[in-house]
Amino acid sequence: MRLEKCWFCSSTVYPGHGIQFVRNDAKIFRFCRSKCHKNFKMKRNPRKVKWTKAYRCLHGKDMTQDSTFEFERKRNRPERYDRNVTEQTLKAISLITKIRHERQKKHITERQKQGKTKQRERDAKELEQDIQMLPKKVTLSTQKTKVVVKVSQQQTEENLMEE
Amino acid sequence: MAAFLRSKCSSVGRTLMGGLGNNLFGAVNSSVETVSRPSHCDPIFQQIRTFIQMRTNLKVVDNSGAKRVMCIQSLRGKKGARLGDTIIGSVKEAQPRGKVKKGDVVYGVVVRAAMKRGRNDGSEIQFDDNAIVLVNNKGELIGTRVFGPVPHELRKKKHLKILALAEHIV
Repeated sequence: MRLEKCWFCSSTVYPGHGIQFVRNDAKIFRFCRSKCHKNFKMKRNPRKVKWTKAYRCLHGKDMTQDSTFEFERKRNRPERYDRNVTEQTLKAISLITKIRHERQKKHITERQKQGKTKQRERDAKELEQDIQMLPKKVTLSTQKTKVVVKVSQQQTEENLMEE
Repeated sequence: MAAFLRSKCSSVGRTLMGGLGNNLFGAVNSSVETVSRPSHCDPIFQQIRTFIQMRTNLKVVDNSGAKRVMCIQSLRGKKGARLGDTIIGSVKEAQPRGKVKKGDVVYGVVVRAAMKRGRNDGSEIQFDDNAIVLVNNKGELIGTRVFGPVPHELRKKKHLKILALAEHIV
């Protein structure tokens, strides 16, 4: 089972899906769905269309450099079949995929941190400017009062006896 | 009365009237208008890819001497020919001192078709243009070379010579 990549959006094309367009210079364009095929026919550049993988990688939205991508690289040299190697490979695939997803998640979180900081700054500025709009009674810094309760040794012994 | 008003109003008015009334007159009308408008400036985008039928012009991709052939008969099916089918055509344009000349009635095998064709693996294949290779009535090639990509489905149709001479098999 060969899994191809869509020419336009770079998503995985599973067997039985999509359209294969062959140009007269024998270059093959595979599309995962009609959406990608129509965009190609409209001569749209995938680097400029925001939902494609090409755009996301180009604008730093997705990870571009990672050691996990090396495993996914296409190799045209055939390997001699070995059952043990195949078994280990299949185990490794799931593990590497898991690692890549975790790193991707981390990358996105790191990327969004800057935006959150900026948003916080904006909120603080807005609050500073429009502080007079709040009613007088509302206090911004709510102080938590700590209540200390003293328990004598005698009381604890009585509780234990009851139990 | 309402129908009379609708007929007198402009297209915008009709749409409004249709929207206000219970029937879908305006909605249908507006949808028809949007469909009839050209979807894109590119002529390729507008062109409907269909069967190779009578009066379809095809490009000849071998060195038999013909440049352009017009289909005059499809030898398979009611609708028309598809990828890998044989057709009868009339040579409309030919090179000088070729094996065939203008006006000749020839047989040809469709090696590239712009209409989508389903494959065994469930995917679909589509080419840039409609192209044929000229053969005689026994199915033997007239030319000695085949240019451009050809699909491997021709193996099933027993056109092994075409596959052997092809530049690219896809």
